[in-house]
Amino acid sequence: MPEPTGVIHDIGYQRYTGPRLGRRHVFGALYLHGLRTVFGLGRSAKAKIFPWLVVGIVTVVAAGLTAVRSQIGEVVMTYAQFADAMSWLVIFFVAVAAPELVSRDLRSGVLPLYFSRPLPRDDYALAKLLSLASALWLLLGGPQLVMFLGAAFTTPDGLRGTWNELLDLLPGLLYAGLWAVVFAAIGLLVASLTGKRAFAAGGIVAVFLMTTPIVGVLSILPSRAVNELALLASPSTLVQGVGSWALQDLLYPGAGTGPPIGDFGPVYAVVTALLVAACTALLLLRYRKVAAR
Amino acid sequence: MSTVSWITARGLFGRRRFLMLLPLPAVLVLLAVLCRSLGVDPGQWAPPVLVGLGLAVVLPVVALIVGTGVLGAEIDDGTVVHILTKPLPRWQIVLPKLAVAAGVSAVTVAVPLYVAGVLADSVRLGLGLVVASALGALAYSALFLALSLVTRRPVLLGLVYVLIWEGLLGNFVSGTRVLSIQQWVIALADRIAPTDLLSTTVSVPVAVVLTALVSVGFTVLAIDRLRSFSIAGETS
Repeated sequence: MPEPTGVIHDIGYQRYTGPRLGRRHVFGALYLHGLRTVFGLGRSAKAKIFPWLVVGIVTVVAAGLTAVRSQIGEVVMTYAQFADAMSWLVIFFVAVAAPELVSRDLRSGVLPLYFSRPLPRDDYALAKLLSLASALWLLLGGPQLVMFLGAAFTTPDGLRGTWNELLDLLPGLLYAGLWAVVFAAIGLLVASLTGKRAFAAGGIVAVFLMTTPIVGVLSILPSRAVNELALLASPSTLVQGVGSWALQDLLYPGAGTGPPIGDFGPVYAVVTALLVAACTALLLLRYRKVAAR
Repeated sequence: MSTVSWITARGLFGRRRFLMLLPLPAVLVLLAVLCRSLGVDPGQWAPPVLVGLGLAVVLPVVALIVGTGVLGAEIDDGTVVHILTKPLPRWQIVLPKLAVAAGVSAVTVAVPLYVAGVLADSVRLGLGLVVASALGALAYSALFLALSLVTRRPVLLGLVYVLIWEGLLGNFVSGTRVLSIQQWVIALADRIAPTDLLSTTVSVPVAVVLTALVSVGFTVLAIDRLRSFSIAGETS
């Protein structure tokens, strides 16, 4: 048997002798990177066009609402109604952001590099999910803050008015968080199924848009129970149902202005929790399979 | 059937992912059958099903996925080089691809719309929807095919048109409806089969002229863009 002839030469690269950061730091770095990716920060100008287009539109709408309110003194939209009115833009934003977060990694086959670090598979998926949810919350919460500031500085009641306004804002932010979690869970799951960004974006929009008319049809069927449960059929109306049940007076001032869900409020909350849990579980399952390749 | 259209059709149907297109029409038919069997008044269920789901969601989304897929997918993969280096005039590449895209979208959308239209009102409404949605599929396909040559992110730009222009602005600002393919389709269907189920503010002659203009104009644009097409790497 001949002697092995291969040699590993020491070509003089400097060794790393510093501290090795663990799992938490990998997770944190991935989360921050994901959040920057969503808004196109640290990337070319082309990657910034679509996210900032959406951010720009929602901010302009919020500024417009604030201006109208300060001039006429009439509340055109409450904080919760603002989130509802922006639902199409949120869908578009998810269709832009989710494929950027997961489809690119799938397509370019870099996942083995990620998983060769001290990073469990589940952490990768959860970090991406968390960054998408945070981005959506910022997207909806930022304009609400603009509306709040506008209202706080123009309120005629001084500090007391500002305090009341703050009490209106907080449930609005909570509600925006609910939107963010539900949409991020569904959007990221759909996007993780394909490595093609184009198909991922189309799939996300198809899932969200297809469900809305179903609600419209179910709510005219000749059965009261079906009508009141109809809002379960679509993610955006599902969120509205939970919001109106949990934060009734805070979100929809005045009786009968909220979505018609009857006494099924708890059902909506349970279904929302189950939906988010199921989507997250499927996402983790998906990454078990992808990582095994 | 030219080789280009054969390759395009195989590119669309050769993968399992074209099955992703089926749930959309299936939901449309299911809802129509459900409403019909429960005896709901067509005046109530037809607008959300036919317009809200069929013409506002299924038609544009299917046309978007197919229309950007026929050429955009090849550009993404880089395999478009193989077609571009053949001694073919550019229109012989664009037209077959447009024909396949429009044909596939038209069949996918028109069949469920025909069923829903018959269930809602009459065979005439079904046929009206078939003709109108086929013309709409042609206009959408031409638009999205041209988009996939103008920009590297055709799907997102197409979504901006479908979601923000037609969806959001079309609901709040009625002036933008004149430039919305969805409204032209509604106008055409309403002209062929006059019912009180479909309503739009766009007049029929405007719809006819603009549909033809968009279909031809964007096809010419696509042929022109493909003439001076340069292959670039993936956008960052």
